[in-house]
Amino acid sequence: MVAVSFSYAMRAPAIPLWRMTRKRYERLVDAGTFGENDRVELLDGLLVAREPQGSLHAMAVVLARTALERAFGRRYHVREEKPVALDDLSEPEPDVVVVRGGPRDYRTHPSSPVLVVEVADSSLAFDRLRKGGVYARAGVADYWVVNLVDDVLEVYREPVRTTSRGTGWKFASVRRLERNATISPLAAPRARIRVASLLP
Amino acid sequence: MTTYPVPTRRWTRAEYDRLVELGVLHEDEPIELLGGQMIVAEPKGTPHSTAIGLTADALRAAFGPGWVVRVQGPIALDDESEPEPDLAVVSGQHRDYLVEHPARPALLVEVAEPSLAFDRRYKGSLYARAGVEDYWIVNLVDEVVEVHRSPLPDPTSEFGWRYGDVKTFRPGASISTLSRPDVTVAVADLLP
Repeated sequence: MVAVSFSYAMRAPAIPLWRMTRKRYERLVDAGTFGENDRVELLDGLLVAREPQGSLHAMAVVLARTALERAFGRRYHVREEKPVALDDLSEPEPDVVVVRGGPRDYRTHPSSPVLVVEVADSSLAFDRLRKGGVYARAGVADYWVVNLVDDVLEVYREPVRTTSRGTGWKFASVRRLERNATISPLAAPRARIRVASLLP
Repeated sequence: MTTYPVPTRRWTRAEYDRLVELGVLHEDEPIELLGGQMIVAEPKGTPHSTAIGLTADALRAAFGPGWVVRVQGPIALDDESEPEPDLAVVSGQHRDYLVEHPARPALLVEVAEPSLAFDRRYKGSLYARAGVEDYWIVNLVDEVVEVHRSPLPDPTSEFGWRYGDVKTFRPGASISTLSRPDVTVAVADLLP
């Protein structure tokens, strides 16, 4: 059963939500706490319900996976909606990540993806800000948001500290790329991916 | 400031109890389940603890036999809430609650210092929704006791309910409880 509630951030008084460590979260997962239809991820200690994917979202995930598999060589592999052991309080399941090595190199979840991709429609602000802050803090150097609302690719790089609320981190470099642009992943600088190939 | 929804997954009370059974949560951790969210209970200062002790003594004396005054014990409030109010007065004997936490308290009391706004608005709305008829806040900031009664629906409140009748009592005043209107509790006896 999944119920979704919305932000308390805009309301006083602030709610001191309890934050769960990744260790405890993994015990919950191992104990079978979450059923198949109970899609959650741990983000900054909070258990976040993952929204059901629409058809365009699902298509964009497959497009990103296909494009990245082509762009990255055999020294990397692409994972789709798989857990990342990001930090002590976070175990997100990004739409697509690229990690070093092959699948057999990871008896435990990978923790340092070279590229994270989220496909965003209704979750756009959440993916940009909250998730972006968590990824920046964890030192993710290359974070892409496939923005289905505006039909563009947003590329976030250069994680830096910030004084604003949230995780205390953000990306200093934000680029918005239209369909006709191309993008090279930081970890595969010689590859060129057409933005149009990522958009439904 | 930009705001955006944080779609947190909510917990049921049954799941929350299971976390304790699994050992993922420890029974003595300062956590309460309120409206499906796990909330960190604030550390209690010495005036807070003193007020809890004073209030427990006063309520035990006022209610007498046939009632149990529980201190920071869990309440099975609703399907998604298991708060641990500073004090709860429930009918019966201690052993009546050996298997299940009490669900229908006659009176809940929170001692509030930094948590005053939270206890008033957030917990107040949750307790009102659950039909708790008598909710007191021992307000250490203003040195008064607030009596919250008459739950009524209010869509603007956190959980869709609030107390329609809120009265403030100063030291020197006495409060009669809803469940035992024949006895009174002196405000001065509750404040440190």
